[in-house]
Amino acid sequence: MKNNLKEISVYIHLPFCERKCLYCAFTSFVSSDDVQKEYVKHLIKEIENFKDGYKAKTIYFGGGTPSVLRLDLLGKIFDALKNKFEIEKDAEITMEVNPNSVDEEKLGFYKRLGVNRLSMGIQSLNDKTLKKLGRLHTKKEALYELQLATKFFDNVSCDLILGLEKEKNVVKYARKLIKFGIKHISCYILEVHENTPLYSLVKNKKYQPLNDEAVAKSYEELRKFLEKQGFNQYEISNFSLLGFESKHNLAYWSYDDYVGFGLSSHSFLDGVRYENSSNLKDYYEGKRQSEAIINDKEIEERILLGLRCKNGIDLEKLKNLGYILEKNEFFMQFLEKNILKKVNNKVFLNPNYYAVSDFIIEHLLP
Amino acid sequence: MNDELKYIRNFCIIAHIDHGKSTLADRLIELTGTVSKREMQDQILDSMELEREKGITIKLAPTRLIYEYEGKEYTLNLIDTPGHVDFTYEVSRSLAACEGALLLVDASQGVEAQTLANTYLALDNNLETVPVINKIDLPSARVDEVKAEIEDVIGLDAHDCPCISAKEGTNVEDVLKAIIEKIPCPKGDENGKLKCLIFDSHYDNFKGAICLIRVFEGTVKKGDKILMMQTNKVFEVTEVGIFVPNTKEVNLLKAGDVGYLAGSIKTISDVKVGDTITSADNPISSPLAGYKEVQPVVFCGIFPVDGAKYGELKDSLDKLKLNDASLQFSPENSTALGYGFRCGFLGLLHLEIITERLEREFNLDIITTAPSVSYRVFKTNGDVLEISNPSNLPPQVEIDHIEEPMVKVNVFTPPDYVGAIMDLCQDKRGVYKNMTYLDKRRVELNYELPLGEIIYDFFDSLKSRTHGYASFDYEFFGYSPADLVRVDILLNGEKCDALSMIVHKDKAYTRGRELAERLKKIIPRQLFEVPIQACIGNKIIARETISALRKDVLAKCYGGDISRKRKLLEKQKEGKKKMRKIGSVEIPSEAFMSILKLNDEE
Repeated sequence: MKNNLKEISVYIHLPFCERKCLYCAFTSFVSSDDVQKEYVKHLIKEIENFKDGYKAKTIYFGGGTPSVLRLDLLGKIFDALKNKFEIEKDAEITMEVNPNSVDEEKLGFYKRLGVNRLSMGIQSLNDKTLKKLGRLHTKKEALYELQLATKFFDNVSCDLILGLEKEKNVVKYARKLIKFGIKHISCYILEVHENTPLYSLVKNKKYQPLNDEAVAKSYEELRKFLEKQGFNQYEISNFSLLGFESKHNLAYWSYDDYVGFGLSSHSFLDGVRYENSSNLKDYYEGKRQSEAIINDKEIEERILLGLRCKNGIDLEKLKNLGYILEKNEFFMQFLEKNILKKVNNKVFLNPNYYAVSDFIIEHLLP
Repeated sequence: MNDELKYIRNFCIIAHIDHGKSTLADRLIELTGTVSKREMQDQILDSMELEREKGITIKLAPTRLIYEYEGKEYTLNLIDTPGHVDFTYEVSRSLAACEGALLLVDASQGVEAQTLANTYLALDNNLETVPVINKIDLPSARVDEVKAEIEDVIGLDAHDCPCISAKEGTNVEDVLKAIIEKIPCPKGDENGKLKCLIFDSHYDNFKGAICLIRVFEGTVKKGDKILMMQTNKVFEVTEVGIFVPNTKEVNLLKAGDVGYLAGSIKTISDVKVGDTITSADNPISSPLAGYKEVQPVVFCGIFPVDGAKYGELKDSLDKLKLNDASLQFSPENSTALGYGFRCGFLGLLHLEIITERLEREFNLDIITTAPSVSYRVFKTNGDVLEISNPSNLPPQVEIDHIEEPMVKVNVFTPPDYVGAIMDLCQDKRGVYKNMTYLDKRRVELNYELPLGEIIYDFFDSLKSRTHGYASFDYEFFGYSPADLVRVDILLNGEKCDALSMIVHKDKAYTRGRELAERLKKIIPRQLFEVPIQACIGNKIIARETISALRKDVLAKCYGGDISRKRKLLEKQKEGKKKMRKIGSVEIPSEAFMSILKLNDEE
């Protein structure tokens, strides 16, 4: 029986924060004890109602700040997951944490539950910047917590945000973090979303993000630095030592099945994408949207996902879907200019053009 | 003469733009109960979506009003007319179907350039012209002064003219009385041979071409065989009717009437506005005097965004031409834009209206190139060419000289702005002719200007320099030699024919530089650096560089939210569809119009 189980990646959304960062456009909020209990009740119900027949190859607790969740409630979620899924022996189980919300007790508890990977939201190591963005930790605290985390976990990843400060800083921070023995770095470019406090700060000229030119430069410098340190760029914004790629992340890029439980979370099952409501009341009522990824949509996604990571695009696969990329004039130009590389039937984006990948992908769509 | 004719009046309303024609028409319709209050919506005759939006009248629309006066019932046929200078031709068409015209003058603005131009048109057509002063409710109304202006400047008796507020409905009855008392009734014999004028037409998908007609002699009814005298085609009438103001079928139209006629006319070109309709069995010998063919003065290229829609674009232009005889077009091919049409228009507003109608009524995505005038090019070998597309200009060495079209410009302005207007005309290579103080508040300035300068940005500059107080009117009068050159634009070293322009030598450097700067702002960054050069022949006169794209968003596809990313890319790609490729450079379609808007950001 168990041999027939289908592999799946599982995402759990925990939308709680001690305080919302000024740039954050994700679904999260500051919560009371009661809200947490109520939420976890519904979350567990959602897990229980999910269809049987899957084994989990990865589990990822994201947020919000999952480390804000009461430990007993986290334990209950784990129980529900174990009841629903067979969890593979070498399954990657990640917990997102913020430097200010963990301590030895929590880390020990995570470890006992089976968590084997920690993703820490460092973002910056400049106290002024951290304060400006509304982060609750200082550089000193962050490094202390990181030290602690690496005592408990071998596989630790750190998040950095590009575009906050002058170009050189990000490389400086990365160098510092690597000294702690972390295995993985994610770096994202600061996005100023409407409806965030940061948006009004920028509009009122109280905060000036780095210009495109400088951001591109800092991205390039970081890429080159990490490469020299043995960190392999397996996706546009993800770097790791060999063997420490995030399996969960790769599932997204590889068109694999995944299921997301919780407010506003996303699933991709048998070619259909689902999105849970981001309104708490609607989520409790089980409201979600779905969209079948067929025809052009599938072609578009395979191009979009393939070029963003080391997997590349499979030309044969596209051809079977009815799209011959070689007939796209831009495709031929990009090949000619070495922007795209073709190896057998696979096409990859030259990493030097990762920073302008949207432009390139957009030109290759059917 | 038939007794019934005594109770018919055919009239139109003429005025400077914004003096309230459509509002007056609305009030007349309301007052005569032609349309119930419930159905009444503002500007009821302006049925085109565009007309309502812009608050202007483009196409003439007729309607029949019934009004009882001194115990008798009168039929008043109102033909609404456009006011803008570009549509003088439309005005003259409706005038030919009337015996009289109401000349509407704004009580605060007074006589304006087009008030005068339209009055002359009415007088040329032997129409009885009845002045009406409108907007007396405005605090700035100066009724007595405007009466004096009408008498002094135009020469019409205005001492007892109706003074009204069409908006408030004040004294509108006076207008109806004046129509009946002052405008003569139509003449004509309903027992004579059929003689009708087609003053407009449009296409109906079920009934074929619909002719809007004024019957001068005889009668016409369903089943009659009619002859179009100019196209020499015979049709059987399938329907006749009137406008109230929507179409209503009637049994018969007779001498003096205004109405419409349908005859299963499937070929659009069989109907010519200005043509005379007579009976096929019993024709008259000579047609009515038609209209003079209008010559377009402004030209531009129109191309489908999607090259495959060339046929659709052609059909649409054909249909528009049916009720817009002044629209002209011929096929054109551009290396940058593919197959399309070079179209001729009466003016810039006309151009704008047509392109908007193509987009809205026919659902076409089109690219228009910058407008140009038609130049006469005298070659050294003796050939003379008419060039309206800058890229067709022969090489400099083959040209002996070039002549450009000239217009006489009349500007009406308060005296305060005379200096500013003179500076503007000077700057536009104008030649001063005359200046007349009409009264204390109004000066008329006469200039001769190259038409090419008028279509460039004259109207906007005039408006901004005089805070909208000046009005102007122009009239083509001939050609004059000028030192003209063609400025080409190179994108990444490749010439983009659709961006070439013909300009005066003295302005070539400035215009070339401005265009290059503007293109730099409009063209999005590409993966590589793109130089923009403006040149005359092989000589580079300006250069700008679009630096390469450095980053687009490395969005976090958080928690597997792939859909958002895909939709974002789809949207961006949709925008790309409106782009054209010149060599390897992508440029947005609005870039081709940018030549015109060079001074926007000053």
